[in-house]
Amino acid sequence: MFNNLISPSAIAVIGASPDRSKIGHAVLQNLVNQGFHGKIYPINPSCDEILGLKCYTEISSVPGKVDLAVIALPAKLAPSVLQECIKQDVEFVIIVAGGFSELGEEGRKLEDSLKEKLKGTRTRLIGPNTVGIIFPHSKVNTALTPGERIWFPGEGQIGFISQSGALGLLIMDSLAENGTGISGFVNIGNRADIDEDDLMEMFLEHDETRSIVAYLESISNGEKFFRTVRDVNMKKPVTILKTGRTSEASAAASFHTGALATDDRVLDGILRQAGVVRAYSEVELLDFGRALAYARPLEGKRIAVLTTAGGVGVLTTDLLTTEDSRPALSMARFSQEEIGQLKEHALPIASLNNPIDLTADGSTQSYASILEILAESGNVDGIIAYALPQTPKIDTSVIGPIVNAARKKTVVVGVIGNRLTRDLMVDLEKAKIPAYPSVPRTVSAMKALYLRRMYLRRLSNDH
Amino acid sequence: MTTETGLKPGMRNITEFEAKAILREYGIVTPRGIVFESLPDKIELKFPLVLKVSDASIIHKSDVGGVKAGIVGLYDLIEEYVAMKKRFPNSEFLLEEMAQKGVEFIVGVTRDPVFGPVIMLGTGGIYTELYQDVAFRKLPIGREDALDMIQEIRSGIFCKGFRGTRIDCEEIVGLLLKVNGMISGGKVDILSLDLNPVIVSASGAVAADAKISFYR
Repeated sequence: MFNNLISPSAIAVIGASPDRSKIGHAVLQNLVNQGFHGKIYPINPSCDEILGLKCYTEISSVPGKVDLAVIALPAKLAPSVLQECIKQDVEFVIIVAGGFSELGEEGRKLEDSLKEKLKGTRTRLIGPNTVGIIFPHSKVNTALTPGERIWFPGEGQIGFISQSGALGLLIMDSLAENGTGISGFVNIGNRADIDEDDLMEMFLEHDETRSIVAYLESISNGEKFFRTVRDVNMKKPVTILKTGRTSEASAAASFHTGALATDDRVLDGILRQAGVVRAYSEVELLDFGRALAYARPLEGKRIAVLTTAGGVGVLTTDLLTTEDSRPALSMARFSQEEIGQLKEHALPIASLNNPIDLTADGSTQSYASILEILAESGNVDGIIAYALPQTPKIDTSVIGPIVNAARKKTVVVGVIGNRLTRDLMVDLEKAKIPAYPSVPRTVSAMKALYLRRMYLRRLSNDH
Repeated sequence: MTTETGLKPGMRNITEFEAKAILREYGIVTPRGIVFESLPDKIELKFPLVLKVSDASIIHKSDVGGVKAGIVGLYDLIEEYVAMKKRFPNSEFLLEEMAQKGVEFIVGVTRDPVFGPVIMLGTGGIYTELYQDVAFRKLPIGREDALDMIQEIRSGIFCKGFRGTRIDCEEIVGLLLKVNGMISGGKVDILSLDLNPVIVSASGAVAADAKISFYR
């Protein structure tokens, strides 16, 4: 259904401009720079050529079928241009301009006229008021920000839906730092037509997408949202960050229940009911998106912690075994036999009670053998492994053993520090091991994996 | 118009006695009780009793001195009745047996502007507002949702036993599912509902107080 959005064969940029300061230039530039291999048709009646591409006067003069049209023109021109796109049977249209319902009554009328035009047609609209879409696998990038200002992530497994355009772009810029990729990004803008529910369903059908993350400020249709997110989440993990909490309670506030029913409490209950892991910040949103895309499902709450720094192990234990906004997990207990095996591979000074601390004398070899024992253990459900560059004998060669362990058990990696950590982070990302640059982020990612397991169990009992 | 009784426009309230009659139709247990304007000569209820003003326009009865609990004998009852009749000369009164002591919960329903009817379970009684320890779900709910709500709130610990008090989790599950059936069945057009407290003890779950409002 969304094939021609995810992977169009021809894209028209209406309002393409040779002027580098114009959005119509940035959109075209991003498509060209990304290396989109389909046809690109810049449309501008006063130009012959932009960025080496032949320009057309209007959409009807384009010599082939257009799957996706980006309208980079001011709001007041959008309805008539949308009408032309509909006439040419363009399946997907993106209206970039703001100045619609977000600006009050006048704008709302303009937006209603867009909806009116779409009725009974095959054309679907993204926006208005959107920064665009990115699908790295098909090299589609209609972002309105020039590529020299931010990084765009490469191919990955995370489908990203964002109600905020700017925050979406900035999150992706941060993601790109360690080479995290995405399977797609859509800024829904004012969602006059395509909304978060359509996009969750789109990413569900999208083979490259393994986990879906959504940043939402409001929910367009509560009933539909609940059904969609519950059904999609059963098959592909969905993580949601919902902002704009208010303390306002609902209609019948003279009763206790009404007075206690703040939108945030209600949403919290509804996300639990749908089995959706909730993020409380933009950092958690993508942290959990990665964990749920990369890691094996967690089978239970017994976690083994492997570290080469005692303090890191203690802090991890504290956070892991404390109930915060997420449940407490437990420290795995090893059998006598396992402790015997662990002893064979560690220095006598190492501490072999969970957390296992190999100390600063720990070596990659010892690290690898111990990881293998943990991965085979019947007493362990998940492993938090720290790759800490302060330990002289530990380097990027720990990644091989981590990858092996991650084939058998749920593994989350913590990498603390700065100077030597980037290589570790980038290599772990390449190997699709969820890795995080802090103890709390590492622990929260493991808790998110546990929540998903718990929710799925309940949902499968209920159906 | 909003009055000092807290009644909102578009809402129609019924008395506690009427509300409890509806609850009983759905299998929810409420204390035995009678309604009257003047105290009858013969009382066939078992002491201790609770006397409440019965008036659909008074939502928070205890705030206006409209609840007297722990009435242990007939003499006591007459005295309390006379005092309350003075405060509410034009109202009826509800006299009920007091529920056995137990763990207090609140069960409620309200309409969320985005998600429609939602059900709530929380720590009840006088602690409701203090701890705000509540869990919401969208209606309809299933058994697993009900179990999950119990786990989500602090008072859910009593299902596992705490300081010598242990209650049967199934009593709460059963009550939540009955309320679910009441709202989701669609036969009654309830806008919002408060059962607070619901007292759960060895003798089951009893809705000791109940408020229901309908769409006008």
